[in-house]
Amino acid sequence: MKSAGVPDYSRSLFRPNTVLVEDDAAGYPLTESILSRLPNAEVVVIKRPTSESLTLLGRQFSSRTTLLLALHRGRFLKACPGTAESYRCCLYQILHLGLGCNIGCSYCVLQGYLNNPFITQFVNLDDAFAELDRELERPGVFYRIGTGEFTDSLFMDPLTDLAPRLLDYFGRSKNAVLELKSKSVAISGLLDYPGEIGETVVSWSLNAPQVCAKEEGHAATIEERLTAAALCRQRGYRIGLHFDPLLYFSGWQDEYRKTVASIFDHLKGDDIIWISIGAFRFMPQVKEELRANHPQTNITAGEFIRGIDGKQRYFSAIRRQLYSFLVTEIKRYAPNVFIYFCMEDQYLWQDTFGFAPSDNQELSHWLDKCCYRYSEVKS
Amino acid sequence: MYDIKISSCSLSDIDFADRTFPFSYGVLPVALATSIAKLGLLQPPLLVAGENGYRIVCGRRRLEVVRNEATRKVTDESLAVNVCVAENMSLPELFRRALWENLAIREFNLVEVADIYMAASEIFRVEELEQEIMPALKLPRRKRFQQRCQAIAGFPRQLRDLLAAGSIDGETVDLIREWSVEERVALLDLVAESGLRRNKLREVVSRLDDLARRDQVSPLKPLSAARKFALGEGDSVNVEWLRSHLKTLLYPHLTAAQLEFAARQEKFAWPANLRLEPPPDFEGGKFRLSFTFTSSKEWEKSCDKLTSVALEDIDEICRRS
Repeated sequence: MKSAGVPDYSRSLFRPNTVLVEDDAAGYPLTESILSRLPNAEVVVIKRPTSESLTLLGRQFSSRTTLLLALHRGRFLKACPGTAESYRCCLYQILHLGLGCNIGCSYCVLQGYLNNPFITQFVNLDDAFAELDRELERPGVFYRIGTGEFTDSLFMDPLTDLAPRLLDYFGRSKNAVLELKSKSVAISGLLDYPGEIGETVVSWSLNAPQVCAKEEGHAATIEERLTAAALCRQRGYRIGLHFDPLLYFSGWQDEYRKTVASIFDHLKGDDIIWISIGAFRFMPQVKEELRANHPQTNITAGEFIRGIDGKQRYFSAIRRQLYSFLVTEIKRYAPNVFIYFCMEDQYLWQDTFGFAPSDNQELSHWLDKCCYRYSEVKS
Repeated sequence: MYDIKISSCSLSDIDFADRTFPFSYGVLPVALATSIAKLGLLQPPLLVAGENGYRIVCGRRRLEVVRNEATRKVTDESLAVNVCVAENMSLPELFRRALWENLAIREFNLVEVADIYMAASEIFRVEELEQEIMPALKLPRRKRFQQRCQAIAGFPRQLRDLLAAGSIDGETVDLIREWSVEERVALLDLVAESGLRRNKLREVVSRLDDLARRDQVSPLKPLSAARKFALGEGDSVNVEWLRSHLKTLLYPHLTAAQLEFAARQEKFAWPANLRLEPPPDFEGGKFRLSFTFTSSKEWEKSCDKLTSVALEDIDEICRRS
């Protein structure tokens, strides 16, 4: 096993030079704390943002160097937007605390969805925790909750110090497991956390080194992510890994083989709670946005067909090749590690694993069972 | 206080080359020409004094029809027309007047939208542009639509004419906006040889662009190869051959699966009148069986054929490749 110090995350650190503060968000402890960490940033107080005003502000302030602090007025806990029943979804729950990130992956599907140009942090955390309190008191229900769907869970942690706040909550929660998903290595808040971390899962999105270099902006390298994962494991966190999106390109086998080998240079199979795999997919309209924003990328120029959910996906024979290869490679090192597909059909499950979840509930149940806390809830 | 005066001016006093108000581009409507030929100019165009004569604010198409008519009849360009002349009106005010008057009577083509947007972006503040002009032009506030307008404004005349005529759509512009002059010329040649228009053209360009990106070559390479493949009689290019060839190049696995599926049906002597289709693009697991009949006898015959197929053969034919 390789061991190393905490990776330097300064390359991907978000350093806003302007902070837009919604007038109602001023005075919140998280607002104060973030502003105190940015003494040189220009602070502009704005009225409650609307899509119109955000577009205008987007002309005035650079989306790369501006942070928006706002209140979230809708539900914080949402079901992961898994699509049609024809593709199996793990029924993950999203804790919606922020929007956007500064990493700049070419394949990011958010570029086709968000009408807010700014990286946004919601500061009314007490409202989020109050909602969680109400939701989590339902008896006998187990929750897997993540914060990394509409943003990266850790990239802004040096500014927000959010991870320790979440650990305070989920460390003592009996029926919920928190998963923090990232491509960043800003893990100091996790490593230095003095309290009970519960069964918190820290996950990294992984890809081939070539994809990381060409398509993942200024994300941490694969080596850095895995070094961070090993350190988190030493601290007692459970580690999740997500190969999503898998890309099909010339030489993909060698490239993905390198990443798999690298995983097990840093981690043992038992360290890993789950590994998810999902081939690249996107809504058709995202293709145009992606090309406008990343003119050099060629990732949408593959053999994409229209899936049953309307998304563009690699033709099934290509997905089958990608999955079979990756699963075989992983199983060589860790035969017992739990691997699942994110949004894939039962036929590809069957072809790859020899079994398939009969529905979303069954897949969800399989993931729940990976968590120690699940048996405590059910016993 | 602004003023609009009705007066008479000769065609030679009008600066037709001025494009400060670029509200019309493309072929003049036949109905308008007919109307003016029969009835004359009923509604006076709006002009404003400029350095080289009157600038046309609204009514360029009407004036061009009159000018064409004058040229056709070999009339002197000093032919007088009734016009409205605006005075003491700011450039934004004139521009708005032209925009809303045009919108009241017609839709703009893609070239007009692009030209108006580009001109407006020089005249109006960002807020006015985004809150008034872009919604009026039905132009979404996304980067690619602005890039599209910039590209169209810089396109050569031949491409702009095709766009104005509706033979090329906006998505195709997005694809070719980064292409070199040489690549665009080759595409225009292909358009001329094949008669490709709009949806099929977009599909072809999209596939050429995908192939070029996938193989990291110029679009000229797949374009030349596909053109060569699809050359039919004389110098014409067969559109269906072209599309099919590009699809085969871009979708080798899918094409192989389709061929394999057809071969398996043949191998297991699948009854010809029972139409068996795989799931669209082989996605999901639902196969479709259909047959037609005109009588109970035909129905019975088809059912007999169907039940005579061995289950193992069905499994084999429908096996995922």
